[in-house]
Amino acid sequence: MSDFSDWAKSATDPRQAASMPEALPGLRVLEVCPGHFGGMVAASILSEFGADVIKIEPPGGDPSRKYAPEGISIGGTGLPFLSEARNRKFVTLSLAKGEGRGFFRRLARGADVIVTSEDAARLEEMGLGYESLSAGNPGLIFLALSTYGSFGPNARRRVKDADILCQALSGAPYIVGEPERDGSDPPEPHQAPTRLGNWHASFVEGLWGAFGVLAALHFRAEAGKGQFVDVSGAEGLMKFADYNITWMHTAGKERQRTGNFDPAVFPYTYIRCKDGHTFIAAYNDEAFESLMIIVGRPELTRDPRFSTPASRIRMENERVLLSILEEWSGNLTADEILRAVEDYTSKKSGPGAAVVTGRVNRPLETLAEANWRERGCFARMDDTAYGDLLLAAPPWKMSGTPARIKSVCRPPGADNMEVYCGLLGLSPAELDSMSLRGIL
Amino acid sequence: MNGFQAFAEAAFSLPGISAKPEALKGIRVIELATRIFGPVTSDYLGEFGAEVIKVELPLRGDLMRYVAPQGFFWKEVSPAFLSLNRNKLHVAIDVRLPEGKDLFTRLAEKSDVVVENLRAGTMDEWGIGYLQLRARNPRLIYAANSGFGQWGPYSQGRASYDATAQAVSGMSAITGFPGRPPVKAGFWVGDYTGALFSAVAILAALAARRRTGEGQLIDISQAEAMIRTLDWTWPYAGKTGRDRERAGNLDVALPPSGIYRCADGFVAISARDAEEQAGLLKAVGAAASGPAPAGEGDGLSPDRIAGFAAPRTRAEILRASEEAGFSAAPVVGGREQYHDPHLRARGTVWELDDPLYGRIDEYGPVPKLSESPGRMKWTAKPVGYHNEQVFGGLLGLSEEEMESLGRKKVIGKWADVPGARPPRNE
Repeated sequence: MSDFSDWAKSATDPRQAASMPEALPGLRVLEVCPGHFGGMVAASILSEFGADVIKIEPPGGDPSRKYAPEGISIGGTGLPFLSEARNRKFVTLSLAKGEGRGFFRRLARGADVIVTSEDAARLEEMGLGYESLSAGNPGLIFLALSTYGSFGPNARRRVKDADILCQALSGAPYIVGEPERDGSDPPEPHQAPTRLGNWHASFVEGLWGAFGVLAALHFRAEAGKGQFVDVSGAEGLMKFADYNITWMHTAGKERQRTGNFDPAVFPYTYIRCKDGHTFIAAYNDEAFESLMIIVGRPELTRDPRFSTPASRIRMENERVLLSILEEWSGNLTADEILRAVEDYTSKKSGPGAAVVTGRVNRPLETLAEANWRERGCFARMDDTAYGDLLLAAPPWKMSGTPARIKSVCRPPGADNMEVYCGLLGLSPAELDSMSLRGIL
Repeated sequence: MNGFQAFAEAAFSLPGISAKPEALKGIRVIELATRIFGPVTSDYLGEFGAEVIKVELPLRGDLMRYVAPQGFFWKEVSPAFLSLNRNKLHVAIDVRLPEGKDLFTRLAEKSDVVVENLRAGTMDEWGIGYLQLRARNPRLIYAANSGFGQWGPYSQGRASYDATAQAVSGMSAITGFPGRPPVKAGFWVGDYTGALFSAVAILAALAARRRTGEGQLIDISQAEAMIRTLDWTWPYAGKTGRDRERAGNLDVALPPSGIYRCADGFVAISARDAEEQAGLLKAVGAAASGPAPAGEGDGLSPDRIAGFAAPRTRAEILRASEEAGFSAAPVVGGREQYHDPHLRARGTVWELDDPLYGRIDEYGPVPKLSESPGRMKWTAKPVGYHNEQVFGGLLGLSEEEMESLGRKKVIGKWADVPGARPPRNE
């Protein structure tokens, strides 16, 4: 490895993060997102940079603790919740009761950021909205996460925000998956708009929320003022849908599903190989020539079907080219293809020479790869309440204020004493009495 | 209109945006990047007021300029390039030449952030990497975007695109239908996701710098960003030793939530808690001709929801959801978004008047900030379009110096090809 690479490792290896300063120390965040995953993501991201996050759950615990694929649950909490509950304090509080709302207002007075997926208008009616809370705390940054956003003609549509709704509205599934074939046969189930298998819309919603909060913090440092940050999860993922809108505007055309093919670049596709599938891309002329030499078909660069980028992206030519590539790849493993590409491209340089590949990993294959392990992408945590858990670590490696994962999760209300007695100055007796009255 | 709605309509009024301050005003970003991952990172900062100087190679510039859907160029520019490069100043420097490196370094001295997405170590080899630039500007925040990271076994020599990250992270393996091959998303999600992670870290590093006065290196791999987004995939693998399987359009963590075929397209149906499941059961039960199947949960089997959705239109299902108390949303594409009054009222479909190209509609900023909102000011420009403004204005070069650098091909402008050059006069 190069000197720079060695230096970068020594400066950013996450194993030493715990001894380094944090980017957002002392930033107090209240998370009020019952049943909502995107809000957990937003709060997690801020917490990984050092913010002090208090998650407020309804008495009895957050409904999203019950999300449990295959019924797998640990101490009453499912794996989705555990995957995103890191670095927080957990308190319970009933906002349905006037007294609970009073405690929330007291917590909000000392908060820098509120992250909520509750309906912003309903919160305002309860005196817990941005206008009410910012009156006593003008630096407050109030992040509202929802499907449609807090304003605009559809803002009053009655939905409980969820990944699948945001994905549908984002335009992403519309351009993911197999098109229907022409003909009279009814389409097969997979010939349909296809959801991204993970909760990508929720993730992106949370990330955009964190982005908005950090931009607002920058502004607050200059101007002294907080603000309302409104994020629609649908719009968050929509932003990733390439040239959907400019294509409509300039050509009047709507992007369609093209399965494994691409309307703008080819080859840019998954190909079948001996041990599964691998990605292969070589779409400009130099890269395409490199690839054709690698596959032993250099004459195809002069074939009119493939000789220019524009000819390669004709759908009928994409199909032919895919089958030519698979004739070659069918006898090779993904690793053999990677080696063939590396052997060739290491001898050639220049911006256009890139032939790009990468195995379509199943999750266990990803976990088995040394690169991620050495770079600390995964954290194996041994939690006192929830046992041994494998989590995705913060992805950034940073030389000054690295992000980090400090804890996994706590049961509902586990930090009530610390927060209500420590932060708000209640006595243990008052805390007990609140519990008895169903406020906690 | 209730109190909140009145507040929100005023706080987020589109005509009011241009008079409001920008959140990141005063932050200068130098981008030396191609295609999507790097350019989008700085695009997101530019939407909120950072001054982004996009450095391209003279003549042909960013190779993304030549990625054109169905080979279509509009006014000599690809619509796919426009949507990645807004509010930027376009300069062209051959940073591989000594005088080019010097110019780039002088820009970095006057900047807060550098964003690059070359192969790991390339900038360092060229003498304009983080360590060399930090020596001249210790406040510099340097985002090194790559496929596999700046260090580690895969970091040297491996190139990466969006779908590399989709593939190697495990995302594609959990996307698609059982018994069918893994699905590559039809949009460049591995780039945008990495870019958003990168932009978030840059903002966190800016917060740290406000306190410490020091910049830092951010090493972000687009595959690692994708890994971070796979929710319960990892604890599931850790607990069970098994791969999470493809589940098609069913969200198996929240069944029967999913995407369903209906009479006029597709619809997402969601029931994330007991209240919504009861509502959905009511709607499905009322619609069923026969009695509900016996046994707990069967009433909400995916087959039953599919049978409910199939004969109804999207509008009918949305209406049923509001009446019965579950959630639903239509599956939409670009055409419906383009014509959606809601998205236009929110500036999510942004009506941009560009000084060079005229009206060009785009996706606008995602987070809507009430006090310091993001905005679209202009769209991408030809290679080297802002050379004089940046080299003359910011670096103080004279016209003679710029001419001399031009003759030596250190700086330059567009090649006379579609994708690089300005629109033609009509």
